[in-house]
Amino acid sequence: MSSQPDTEHVHDSVAQVDNEIAVGEDLEFQRKWWAFENVVWVVLTLVLLLDLLGAFGRGYLANATLSAKDESVDVRYERIVRFKTPSILTVDLGPTAVREGKIRLWVSESLLTDLGNQRVIPQPLSSVVGDGGTLYTFEATDHPTTVQFALEPSKTGTCKMSLGVRGHELLHMKVFVMP
Amino acid sequence: MDAVIRAIFGYIFLLFIVRVVGRRPGRQMTPFEFVLIFFIGGLTLSGMVGDDRSLTNALVQIVTIAVMHFLIAWLRSHSIRFGLIADGTPLVLLEKGKWRKHTMRKMALQDDDVMAAARDKGLERLDQIEFAVLERNAEISIIAVREKN
Repeated sequence: MSSQPDTEHVHDSVAQVDNEIAVGEDLEFQRKWWAFENVVWVVLTLVLLLDLLGAFGRGYLANATLSAKDESVDVRYERIVRFKTPSILTVDLGPTAVREGKIRLWVSESLLTDLGNQRVIPQPLSSVVGDGGTLYTFEATDHPTTVQFALEPSKTGTCKMSLGVRGHELLHMKVFVMP
Repeated sequence: MDAVIRAIFGYIFLLFIVRVVGRRPGRQMTPFEFVLIFFIGGLTLSGMVGDDRSLTNALVQIVTIAVMHFLIAWLRSHSIRFGLIADGTPLVLLEKGKWRKHTMRKMALQDDDVMAAARDKGLERLDQIEFAVLERNAEISIIAVREKN
């Protein structure tokens, strides 16, 4: 290998202003960049507005409710949630859901796995795994009662889930988990 | 795999946002820049790290950022176009006693920003400036009017 350094003659490769100083200004590119920046600011503003509305979760557009026709159950949940971010799914149970002082609520496996159920409030009497989900049994009076699931999604993308009171209509929901 | 993707996304997103937010002149950061850099940096970090606080995750992400940085630098030196996109172009702010008004407005600069750079060069008035150039590193270069013999 040669001990001589690799050299090259200096050329006027940097654009000059008024043929005097080599600045290398590219005003044509800069004008295009400013136009691009204007578009970016519009997009960023839209992203902010959509976020304020809840399009990315935690807001008006993200909240959803679903009711069974037989009034056995109403579900309040977030149709758009965020990865590893707590979210509450509330199940309001009607009087028809109570049978012999007990409520048997079945939830699909996706609620426990993909949507990362952390705990059930109140604590159920028992839980039985089967039929692609879990059957929770709660003690209840005739009055309407509420059960909550504290979720913390562990998988991004669309997640389907179902729940319902045993012997009544099953509700199907889709939840989108933002990365 | 997940850590690498998050690190790449965080790095590119941060580069993009900082590039769009624009250059402000000066060797010393003003409180505005401090807030911007630390806030954006901290928020990006929380998303990049996620709930994985392991040393492995940290090492993988540091290596990813290092590789990305090398890649960007390589692309910049091999493509003029990419260099323009990543760093921008130097911009003339003042040319022989005339302001480039549109450039000044778009870059959110005032005449006192130019004068601050001129004072740094030992100049006392704006009419002593032949050229003022906003460089790619956000510094303002000043070329003084040459004394006529």
